[in-house]
Amino acid sequence: MFAYIVRRMLHMLLVVFVISLIIFFSIRLTGDPVSVMFSTGEASKEAIEAVRANLGLDKPLPVQYAIFIKGLLTFDFGESFRSGMPVTTLIMERAWATLSLALGGIVVAILIAFPVGILSAVKRGSGVDFFGRIFSLVGISFPNFWLGIMLILVFAVYLQWLPASGFDSFQHLILPSITLGMILSGILARLVRSSMLEVLNQQYISTAKSKGISEWSVIMKHGFRNALLPTVTFLGLQFGSLLGGTVIVEQVFSWPGIGTLIIDAINQRDYPVIQGGVIFLAIIMVVVNLLVDLSYTLIDPRIKTGKEA
Amino acid sequence: MDIKLLEVVNLKVGVNQDNKEIPIVNGISFHLNKGETLGIVGESGCGKSMTSLALMGLLPPGVDWQSGDIILEDMHFKNFKNKDWRSVRGKKISMIFQEPMSSLNPVYTVADQIMEIVLNHENVSKRQARVRALEMLKLVGIPRPEQVLDEYPHQLSGGMRQRIMIAIALACNPEILIADEPTTALDVTIQAQILELMKEIQEKLHMSIVLITHDLGVVAEMCDRVMVMYAGEIVEKAKVVDLFDSPKHPYTQGLLESLPDINKQMEYLSSIPGIVPAPGNMPIGCKFSPRCPFVHDRCSVNPPLFDTPEGTKVKCWLYEEASVKKEAVL
Ligand SMILES: Nc1ncnc2c1ncn2[C@@H]1O[C@H](COP(=O)(O)OP(=O)(O)OP(=O)(O)O)[C@@H](O)[C@H]1O
Ligand SMILES: [Mg+2]
Repeated sequence: MFAYIVRRMLHMLLVVFVISLIIFFSIRLTGDPVSVMFSTGEASKEAIEAVRANLGLDKPLPVQYAIFIKGLLTFDFGESFRSGMPVTTLIMERAWATLSLALGGIVVAILIAFPVGILSAVKRGSGVDFFGRIFSLVGISFPNFWLGIMLILVFAVYLQWLPASGFDSFQHLILPSITLGMILSGILARLVRSSMLEVLNQQYISTAKSKGISEWSVIMKHGFRNALLPTVTFLGLQFGSLLGGTVIVEQVFSWPGIGTLIIDAINQRDYPVIQGGVIFLAIIMVVVNLLVDLSYTLIDPRIKTGKEA
Repeated sequence: MDIKLLEVVNLKVGVNQDNKEIPIVNGISFHLNKGETLGIVGESGCGKSMTSLALMGLLPPGVDWQSGDIILEDMHFKNFKNKDWRSVRGKKISMIFQEPMSSLNPVYTVADQIMEIVLNHENVSKRQARVRALEMLKLVGIPRPEQVLDEYPHQLSGGMRQRIMIAIALACNPEILIADEPTTALDVTIQAQILELMKEIQEKLHMSIVLITHDLGVVAEMCDRVMVMYAGEIVEKAKVVDLFDSPKHPYTQGLLESLPDINKQMEYLSSIPGIVPAPGNMPIGCKFSPRCPFVHDRCSVNPPLFDTPEGTKVKCWLYEEASVKKEAVL
């Protein structure tokens, strides 16, 4: 187990390293940050060069990259070109907003998809199943920015039940979480339905029924418990696109998260902030993947981490 | 001396299609005595499993109980609600299945799976249920039972798993054990061990067994009485000795002829041409007539079960006279 985790950590380092390479060089293809700062064009050549030297942009690219990596090792992403604030501080101020949004999205998706998927499978071919499958289809086909705008219109503007933007209270989290979770819940409900259908056909379900236990126990304790494995795998894999989704949802709800931070930074070619934000998201991704893999050992006793693997 | 434990009366099970009843099990009647082993044999698709599932109230979706009754003690199963079925399953009647590799839940330990049935039917603590689980493992001859309690199914062999299925099925001391081809999936030496085990436990616990099998060798070894099913009907009911000494029904005769070696297991019958008709596509009259070497005019009407002098019951016109004579003697 310990050896497995160590190996996974090394693997994660490699992934983060590759991402740092890609992000570092690709943003430098987008244009010169200093020319954005002085777009009015009145500064002298000397002034511009001074600024460039000050930001470290006068050094050769490999040297710049080495400096970036050296900082990365101590979680120091440098200072924002714009505000001069340490990037780590900027990220930490916003990390909680993004993580709570992602978590909210997953909770919404689970709250909707598990009951819908399970009921669809158990009542296969019935009206409930039909409704559930329509729901999945609709859920999948919604663009989430559109859903977000609709939710704002209905619940914030007309009904005035919930705030449309900001990040001050639990109420603020509700509409963005629904927006983010909705699409995921459509796909997730489908997956839960199909894995439940497969599991419910297994012989051990007949065994469970033949014990005289309640239908609920048969479905949940014996059925759903086994359908959970593909579901957790899926949620782990989807976490990346969920984080991607936060970028859009954060825009719609003026949510002060990492997504907004990165988009603003891209507009201003604020290299350190872009690099820091992306690396931060990448680290979250690989950590989540590790947690998902470790959770398999809890869900499925057939998987023994580290020994055979 | 024979005490009747369970009685099946005119049981009809089938699918309802376009307002038409298509029978799978077509009005069968039989009984089960206390402590005996009743064999059910017949080719694939003749309704053996459907009969046993009906006994447990576990017919698959789409297959309905159309008419008839099953009577156990003072209970009439035809009136059963879900809750009544649940009090019978695992408590009065238990079942073990053909596929030991997949009939245990992969995510729970052996102890969990045995304790579950005990906790469901009996008012005992978890600790007591665990003690029972351990006793059951010893009863079914599991080596190092204390360790196996906390192991998962994937750590055990097929034979071990079938032993554990038996432990689960018998944990609440049911009166009837239904075994649907319990050894088909196991290799020959393990088969013999499992059958031996079932016999041993039957003597200890005085339970009745309904044993479904393709294998007439197993029937000879295990059963007191046998019923032969064909296309959803019982075509012959006999004591095991009588069935092997003087099989009556042409279908039974064919079954026995196709066994040059009694230990050889047969899933299809070389000596009887043709195949079992599908439900919904049954021949008129005697359902076996299209394959029968003795087919004649009378066979266009489905025969009833006739009594023969030996006490066998057989569904074939060839025995009409024998049965009449018997009545005349009486
Ligand atoms: N879920 C179902 N819906 C409708 N018909 C079914 C269903 N399951 C089985 N049948 C039909 O019921 C008939 C009897 O099936 P059953 O499983 O009882 O046969 P069997 O005698 O146990 O055969 P085998 O020896 O292969 O186990 C078959 O013709 C089969 O096609
Ligand atoms: Mg069968």
